[in-house]
Amino acid sequence: MTDQEIIDRINEALAEEFELEPAAMTPDATLYNALGLDSLDTVDMVIVLENAFRFKIREEEAIRKISTLGDIHRFVIGKIREREAPPG
Amino acid sequence: MSAGSETLPRKAGVATAGWRRFRPAAVLMNLWVYPLLIAWTLIGIVLLYPATWILARLFLRWETARISRHVTWIYGRGWLLIIAPFVQFAREGFAENRPPRPCIFVVNHLSYFDTYFMGALPFSNCVFAVRAWPFRTLFWYTAIMRLSRYLDVESLGWEATVEACRREMAGGAVMVFFPEGHRSRDGRLQRFYSGSFMAACATGAPVVPLCIAGTDTLLPPGRLWLQPARVRLRALPAVDPAGFPGELGHVALRKHVKALMASALREMRTEAAA
Repeated sequence: MTDQEIIDRINEALAEEFELEPAAMTPDATLYNALGLDSLDTVDMVIVLENAFRFKIREEEAIRKISTLGDIHRFVIGKIREREAPPG
Repeated sequence: MSAGSETLPRKAGVATAGWRRFRPAAVLMNLWVYPLLIAWTLIGIVLLYPATWILARLFLRWETARISRHVTWIYGRGWLLIIAPFVQFAREGFAENRPPRPCIFVVNHLSYFDTYFMGALPFSNCVFAVRAWPFRTLFWYTAIMRLSRYLDVESLGWEATVEACRREMAGGAVMVFFPEGHRSRDGRLQRFYSGSFMAACATGAPVVPLCIAGTDTLLPPGRLWLQPARVRLRALPAVDPAGFPGELGHVALRKHVKALMASALREMRTEAAA
């Protein structure tokens, strides 16, 4: 998948789950202010991403540092590239 | 309107514009209800709670949390009496859809007074699972929240909330969630948080959808002025979480229940407008 395809899938999954306006979903949109999410949504967000990309991220420390939609994009792209990298 | 949110017909008969808010019935209502509610609250703190605590400990051997929840339920019943001259209140669906025990009630949220109408539930041993603010507000509010062992889901997080639900339901309680998390500002059903549905799937407790209508006419968010209203509380058939297996079962359960409630609320509003 290209980076843009990953971003599109992330945005589609989050928009569907949290009933977000696509126009508001810019990379610099903050989760808690611009997008109106809160700490109670974190669990659902993790589940949505895990389901969309078939990986496990709920134990990742990096999740706690996510504050914008762009952070999510970069985190997920990084996880996918890590998974695709040949072993060794 | 964001994609996926439920649209309800605009509410009818809401007298919110200008001078109509101050028609005689509304003025009388505010002069009647607020002083009586203050008096009822003082009676609750000074007389009802201590007397109930003593009697329930002596004769029923109830723990403090159980007693506190019972007092809260009686307080809600008192509220229903206070507003009776100005509010037509109807409880629907409880006879034909008798809520099982244990169960998890999920209620839509329109007004500050929605929780007061939970005094109409057939069970007094109700544990409210709510956001943090009631635990940090007026001192008697905080006291009753803590004494009743209600759940502050924001502080607990969902995992601990689910375990608390398991514990409380094992002790005979039913749970009450407002899955929207906030009062709706426009009458539309907002997106649901998953916590109550996670609890249902984890514990196997049925979800009982409760649809409340008319409280946004009674007291809209951000207002203090009460209006005469017709309020209905309708219980829908319980939904068994066993029908929603798998890791994402709670998501499917959440969407199913929300669709049921949206449909029922549309029907209730259409009936009210007719």
